[in-house]
Amino acid sequence: MSNVAVLSRLQFDAHTRVIDVDDGFTMDQVAAACAAPAVGYQTSHPDPSKPLRVRRTTDDDTAPTLPRDLTVKAAGFTHFECIDVFVE
Amino acid sequence: MALLDRSAWYNIARSTNWTPKYVPESELFPKDQSDPYGIPTAEWETFDEPYKVSYREYVSVQREKDAGAYSVKAALMRSNYYENADPAYLSLLKMHYGAIALSEYAACQSDARMTRFSKAPSMRNMATFGMLDELRHGQIQLYFPHQLVTLDRQFDWAHEAHHTRNWATLAGRHALDDVMMTRDAMTTSLMLNFAFETGLTNVQMIGLSADAANMGDYTFSNLITSIQSDEARHAQIGTPVIEIMIRNGKKAEAQQAVDVAFWRIWRVFALLTGIPMDYWFPLEKRDRSFKEYMHEFVITQFERQLRDVGLERPWYWEHFLDDIETHHHCQQAGIWSWRNTVWWNPTGGLGPAERDWLEQKYPGWNATHGKYWDVIIDNLRNGRPEKTEAVGMPAICNMCQIPISNKGGTVWKARIYQREYEGRRYNFCTLVCRWVFDTDPVRYKDWDTIVDRMYNGQISPPTAENILRYMGSGVVSKGGRDAHDYAWVKGYDRSPQAAE
Repeated sequence: MSNVAVLSRLQFDAHTRVIDVDDGFTMDQVAAACAAPAVGYQTSHPDPSKPLRVRRTTDDDTAPTLPRDLTVKAAGFTHFECIDVFVE
Repeated sequence: MALLDRSAWYNIARSTNWTPKYVPESELFPKDQSDPYGIPTAEWETFDEPYKVSYREYVSVQREKDAGAYSVKAALMRSNYYENADPAYLSLLKMHYGAIALSEYAACQSDARMTRFSKAPSMRNMATFGMLDELRHGQIQLYFPHQLVTLDRQFDWAHEAHHTRNWATLAGRHALDDVMMTRDAMTTSLMLNFAFETGLTNVQMIGLSADAANMGDYTFSNLITSIQSDEARHAQIGTPVIEIMIRNGKKAEAQQAVDVAFWRIWRVFALLTGIPMDYWFPLEKRDRSFKEYMHEFVITQFERQLRDVGLERPWYWEHFLDDIETHHHCQQAGIWSWRNTVWWNPTGGLGPAERDWLEQKYPGWNATHGKYWDVIIDNLRNGRPEKTEAVGMPAICNMCQIPISNKGGTVWKARIYQREYEGRRYNFCTLVCRWVFDTDPVRYKDWDTIVDRMYNGQISPPTAENILRYMGSGVVSKGGRDAHDYAWVKGYDRSPQAAE
């Protein structure tokens, strides 16, 4: 187990954030970790009726959504991996 | 004693040059300090500055300026102006002095480099006066806030900020190190004198001077006007250099230097100027919006100056126009949320009337930046002030050193632009900051942001307390808090409709 710093781009948030995640975290846990310091502080949940999902950040926002149970290690996230956290 | 009329001797004095006999010219004017562009020596004899001043005239005029600034200050101190001033306005002064005072002092070195290494004798002459200007600016902007330290310890940052590793200081220092401290004499004149001083200083000086006068702070208004009059003179050093470069086939190099410097300084000065103008001044004291200032005093003027010297608008002009609508709003939000990291007390300052004003000046503000404040205002109105203080760290740009943010709400434009270089991953706030990095990666690659320092062991362990201490927050003075203790939120209680 080790920590990986990801750069979170949470849907509708004005900031991008540095979030430490454990490499055993699932994408659901990653999304929760990214939402924790933002939702209710400076932004609202984009749609509380839907789960937050994770994909890698790309210029055209077309990267595939990662499976909810995929782990950080299995996804191959490395230091300063840039991710979108969003609802589908 | 009879004196010769200036016209009888000035041209000889300013253009006196000589051919070195004891050392080769390459030692007198080393390429990497004087002219990496290879301009023929004879071309430097054509350098012609518009402002012509003798030392006797200079001293006389500067003495008058200082006497005026110090006498206004003495009068205002007797009236206890600062004891009774709006706390948000005091924050502007704290931010300004901390960011600017020692930057001016550092600029002495930039002008000294031009004084020593410029090949044009009249450029050396002008830079000598520029060097003295910057010394005066450093001294006066240290002395004035020093007398306010007894009022509020945060004013000590005027002297201390540049000696700390506060993130805001790092942002300013990174930009200034780049454009004025680490370039050859020619490039310094393009970046500092033309792009920075001609292009952007006016917005800081003219804009803030007018607003300070509206606040009744004639000390600061007079001080800024006094400095601006010096800047207007020595800023002219860069123009003849650009003309000489273009005549000698170096337009692309001149253009790139101007483009890099203009962007770098813009990213910092938008915070120093835009935030106070649009958020901290009381509505009734606002002369106009930051955007209006930018269009009136910078865009129109800078475009004309670029045209006049034969350069083009920077390639990123559309990005720049968009940044005028965005950057300082995002940073007002971020700085307020991470207020314990800075040495001033920012105000949220967003009552219903202020929001209406912002929506009018920046159509769409409520749907984007306003969404951020909706959450904050809801927390404050419902007794959750602790949830208005940010936790965790924002991602920070490896070029401008400023948190990477953009419009929130449904437009959701915050995005990180990355670059892999020699195995390291760099993060940028915009395509333009990434472009600056790409122009010279070797120059920029080793700098660490505050976030980098958390992960490479410079801040260890990287706890919230250690990060604040590392940045000097709570060390030099207490960190920031809301300047008005959230009083601006009360406007929503009086206006439930606006709160909706």
